[in-house]
Amino acid sequence: MVKTGVKLIAKLVLCLVLLLILTGCSGGTEVNDLEIVILMGVEKDEATGDIQVTAQIVKKVALSQPSGDGGGESGKAYWNVSGTGKTVFDAVRMITHKTGNRLFVSHNQAVFFGKELAEEGLQEYLDFFLRAHEMRPTAMILITEVPIQDVMNAKPETENFPGINLTKLMKTYGFTSYYYKMNMKNFSSCLMCDSMSPVAPLISISTENGSRDINISGMAVFRKDKMVGSLSFEETRGLLWVLGEVKSGVIVIPSPEKKGLVSFEIIEAKSKVKPEIGNGKITFHIKIKVDVSLSEQMTDEILATEQKFKKMQNDIADAIRKEIMTTYEKSKKLNADIFGFGELLHKKQNGKWKIIKNNWEEIYQDLELDIDVEALIRKTDLLKKPVAAIERGNKK
Amino acid sequence: MSVEKGKICDLELFFLMTAFVQGSLLLIDFTVSLTEHQTWMVILAGLAVSLPFVLSYAALSKRFPGMNVVQINDIVYGRFLGKIISLYYILFYLMTLSFNTLDVSELYLTFLMPDAPFVFFMAVFAAAVAYAVSKGIEVLARISHLFVIVGAVVPISTFILLIDQMDFSDFLPLFELPAIKLFQGIHIMAAIPFGETVTFLMILGSLNKNRHTVRSALAGLLTGAICLLIVAVRNTAVLGRTQSVWTSPSFQSTRLIDIGNVLTRMDFLVGIAQTVLIFIKCCVFFYALVTAVSQLLGLKTYLPVILPLAGILVILAATVFQSPVDHAEITQSTGIIYSVPLMFVIPPLTLLVAKIRGLPQRKRGGGK
Amino acid sequence: MFRYISRVIRYLSLKNKNENNGAVTVENNNEPICADLKRNLQMIKEVMRDSSDVTIHEFNFGHDRRFRGALVFFSSMADRQEIHENILQPMMFGSLMLKEDVDMDFTQVETIKRNLISVTDCQNISLVSEIMENLLLGATILLVHGSKEALAIKSEKRKTRNIEEPGTEAVVRGPREGFNEDVNANISLIRRKIKDPDLCVEKFVIGEKSQTDVYIVYLKRVANPKLIEEIRRRLNRIRVDAILDSGYIEQFIEDAPLSIFPTISNSEKPDKVVAKILEGRAAILVDGTPFALAVPMLFIESFQIGEDYYSRPFLASIMRIIRFLSYLISFLGPAIYVALTVFHQELIPTSLLISIAGGRQRVPFPAILEAFLMLFTFDILREAGVRLPKAVGQTIGIVGALVLGQASVEAGLISPFMVIVVSATAIASFAVPAQTDSSTILRYLFLMLAGIAGGFGIIIGLLVLLVHLASLRSFGTPYLWPIVPLNFYGLRDVFIRMPIWTLSRRPSAVIWSDEGSYSQGSGLMPAPPGKNEGNSERKERD
Repeated sequence: MVKTGVKLIAKLVLCLVLLLILTGCSGGTEVNDLEIVILMGVEKDEATGDIQVTAQIVKKVALSQPSGDGGGESGKAYWNVSGTGKTVFDAVRMITHKTGNRLFVSHNQAVFFGKELAEEGLQEYLDFFLRAHEMRPTAMILITEVPIQDVMNAKPETENFPGINLTKLMKTYGFTSYYYKMNMKNFSSCLMCDSMSPVAPLISISTENGSRDINISGMAVFRKDKMVGSLSFEETRGLLWVLGEVKSGVIVIPSPEKKGLVSFEIIEAKSKVKPEIGNGKITFHIKIKVDVSLSEQMTDEILATEQKFKKMQNDIADAIRKEIMTTYEKSKKLNADIFGFGELLHKKQNGKWKIIKNNWEEIYQDLELDIDVEALIRKTDLLKKPVAAIERGNKK
Repeated sequence: MSVEKGKICDLELFFLMTAFVQGSLLLIDFTVSLTEHQTWMVILAGLAVSLPFVLSYAALSKRFPGMNVVQINDIVYGRFLGKIISLYYILFYLMTLSFNTLDVSELYLTFLMPDAPFVFFMAVFAAAVAYAVSKGIEVLARISHLFVIVGAVVPISTFILLIDQMDFSDFLPLFELPAIKLFQGIHIMAAIPFGETVTFLMILGSLNKNRHTVRSALAGLLTGAICLLIVAVRNTAVLGRTQSVWTSPSFQSTRLIDIGNVLTRMDFLVGIAQTVLIFIKCCVFFYALVTAVSQLLGLKTYLPVILPLAGILVILAATVFQSPVDHAEITQSTGIIYSVPLMFVIPPLTLLVAKIRGLPQRKRGGGK
Repeated sequence: MFRYISRVIRYLSLKNKNENNGAVTVENNNEPICADLKRNLQMIKEVMRDSSDVTIHEFNFGHDRRFRGALVFFSSMADRQEIHENILQPMMFGSLMLKEDVDMDFTQVETIKRNLISVTDCQNISLVSEIMENLLLGATILLVHGSKEALAIKSEKRKTRNIEEPGTEAVVRGPREGFNEDVNANISLIRRKIKDPDLCVEKFVIGEKSQTDVYIVYLKRVANPKLIEEIRRRLNRIRVDAILDSGYIEQFIEDAPLSIFPTISNSEKPDKVVAKILEGRAAILVDGTPFALAVPMLFIESFQIGEDYYSRPFLASIMRIIRFLSYLISFLGPAIYVALTVFHQELIPTSLLISIAGGRQRVPFPAILEAFLMLFTFDILREAGVRLPKAVGQTIGIVGALVLGQASVEAGLISPFMVIVVSATAIASFAVPAQTDSSTILRYLFLMLAGIAGGFGIIIGLLVLLVHLASLRSFGTPYLWPIVPLNFYGLRDVFIRMPIWTLSRRPSAVIWSDEGSYSQGSGLMPAPPGKNEGNSERKERD
């Protein structure tokens, strides 16, 4: 009995060892044989109609020099290579003709699509980026108005790689909430809905002061997968209020006595949308609660009184309401349900949704929005009063 | 005489059962394309459907203490018919085992190491399983709680890490899918994570005292189901509509984790949990297989059959399906059908026949 | 269970075989001592022909010097002063003082023992073989003409070290004394800590040529009688020429001789051994070595050190966890690094991956070979450093660190990250000295697995390792207890060390029965006076 046991284990070990030896190394790649891709871009070659993919690759040689410290006199720490092919995958593999190594796309931060491509429809181009096992579903989707080579060559001053810089840019959208990040997963999630229209940031290049910097110029609006127009900064925030994605940002309103401007920092914003189907009219009750802090006043008024606070809170609410309504008007014009109102109906009132589903586009044109904004000024930061000669004692 | 001399206790049975059910975490990915955002209720319904049957397994082994299913079959159905039914069990063990082995290698080929040879994974995996089984049921049962910990910590931790990306409105509308899809989903759920516990009929005989068999088995089943539920809820809330298109929603949802640019690609955690849990599940199956075969052949110990059976297993797993699509199709439809009688008909029938013939009493007099 | 039974069968069969062999080899010299002194001395000379350190001293004694006697001893082993003062002097000069009328018959050795010799440990012997045996133990043999018996007088003189602080297992807080090579001194160190008549010291003599004293030390009624019986059985089946260190014993009696994990623990600190004895284990002390063995051994004992219990529980618990992590790092470190950089680069954060790639750019070898080279170099350095004198050992360390670390990175032979990984691994392996051998071997095994199959290889390796550990037993105790099988009470002293007043039960895996399972009373948590005073009565023990 014991002998069988020992023999068995010996046999098993032998099997394992043989297997390991016979099959050899099973497909690992050394880090130095990888071309680490941090940005990708897809365009259409106008002349041939082929697809051109550009990849931004980390230059490891530049990094391995101890003194070079990345950039330095040799210039860029990255290399933009492109390949053309009939499909995206075909084009990606063509890039290896230039690199000589396998492209490693796991660390790809974002994918650019040319504006022209976006207007034709993105669905067929997205598949590769979702299917390839190395791709992250968190990679950002960006639409460029300028040629992709131009965007990729815009070297940021504080980072070595435009790709890393872009991710930072996208993650910190909350400072103003004037644009919004859109990743692969959320974009495809919108595409899978019956009615919802995705948005994606629009990138351009600003050439002020002689340097070329990446600049966000607004949000591209899609109907299904085709780009149909764009949103301005304020319009984007109007959208984000409803989606509940406003993280922070600045609201500027005139002071209660109209002497100057007051700016508020958004501390926290919450939203709740409730659909209601009345007789022939569909109403969406949008309830927004926003906490702000008084961050700046460009007047010498004393604002810290109850009435003025009330007044300002109302003004803030009005400003937000206006932002949302402008956005809704814009979306009506583009006929794109960017708020996801249709999806909300689907989720909350499935029975009725099935009936109106097919002519949702018409219904979307005359929805009733009941916007209820509750703004609250929480604090006035370090100052209680403006830095100005204050009349003491005898008021007026 | 049973081929196994080792004994396990109630707590160990509970852990083994939980780990076994958790081993089906990957199976959620199969049903998701059918049941979409209603997966969670399908899990609950599947559990409800399979509960009486699992109870019947426990009752059966309680009636025949210290015996495994091959011995029970011999007693209840007689020599000849009993052997045929036992053969059916063995076939079931072998097929399910090869499916699971295939699952592991597909998992690695698709997500983690796409360039590696296919048979390699299965062979290494089968060798590891064979090694573990050769150490006996005692060792398997004793280490099972570690697997349960892995199977609980990974879903819970990923759930917490993903909480800010969750949108619980994705569960709405509550009832949307056609009944036929739901029924199909419930069937798969009842059969695969829960119904497969019929394997424990080979193990329940090793319990050192069978006072709390039912209680530990049920507790194990429930705990395992809770883990499945956590995973299903996480996937639906995070992925929303898209969850039905991915090959593996679990992997995809954990890939979305991004905490400060450092905690990214947590899908490797799912990979580890998956491997480890399928390992213990395969160990249970393989143990049932080798003990059943050696019991049928009248061997004194099951050690000699381990290596040949492991070989058969690898060959079977390597050849049984041509592609993952094939695999998914068959598992969803026909593959389930052939196992239905085994899970849902034979054990209750055996119990009934035993009751009518008043069998355990007579046997007890004869000594076991 | 199954394995255990089969092992028992194997042992029994082996034992029989050995006993048969033994009967053949033992030389029989069972001749009685004869009354003729000359003949006896002749015989001794015959046997000890080639030993130049045998001293035979013949003399006459008695008030009229009519008795003839001889002292035989090894001049190398016996204490000459003791022989002169306590044997020779009383016999030659003391017997002169005897009055004539008290006529004693000194041809009876018993009379000599009672009246002349002032040594406590005297033994009557009557066989020639016994003479030899006692001579070799350092005794002095007194032969008297006309007597068929001889006296074996204990007179051995041993040169031993003083009790010093041991080189291994250094502590910051706690007793610093260590065992030395004299087993009697070692037992006295234990006796001094356990003043209980239940402390049993059983003697075995093992080794055909070395005749080494081996002692089992345990607490009666606390240690499991089955365990002691098993140790006796295993010790009795040892048939070797010599036992030079307790390591010999260990390798003859361990449960899993083919496993890389030790199933018998060793220590050269009396406090540690005493703690183990108090927990119901048995210690095996071997003459001639400061290392005492203790059985059964649990895997977690490698992570528990005496200081954990002497210092307060908070930091001790953190250090425990650090030790467990270090053990994992010590064998998984290079493997994980290789798996990550060769197979799963997507798991490395982007910026880190870029710097790793930059660092590896000039390295010509694949990562696995690089890791093997570094680990190999590290092991050479360690081996070289251990064997050399302390001062030179330090030089080796500096040369190794500077030349091999710095220069090989600058030469582009090794990437800087690999140096970090391997040195972290090396340092981590020193944090758990009790498992150094297993972690060193596992390190290479896992590196190989990772190089071939990446993360899959590591996971499969870990699973197999877990199954292997779970199947090990040390004298019937599951090796991984209390983790496998799960024991909630036992977990109080594994990953964290609960306060000492909560650890009132001895490890149940070692105890096996209710009797003697409590080592202290319950409710001993210190409290200000007045609060729950009545609660602190000591629970009835045993």
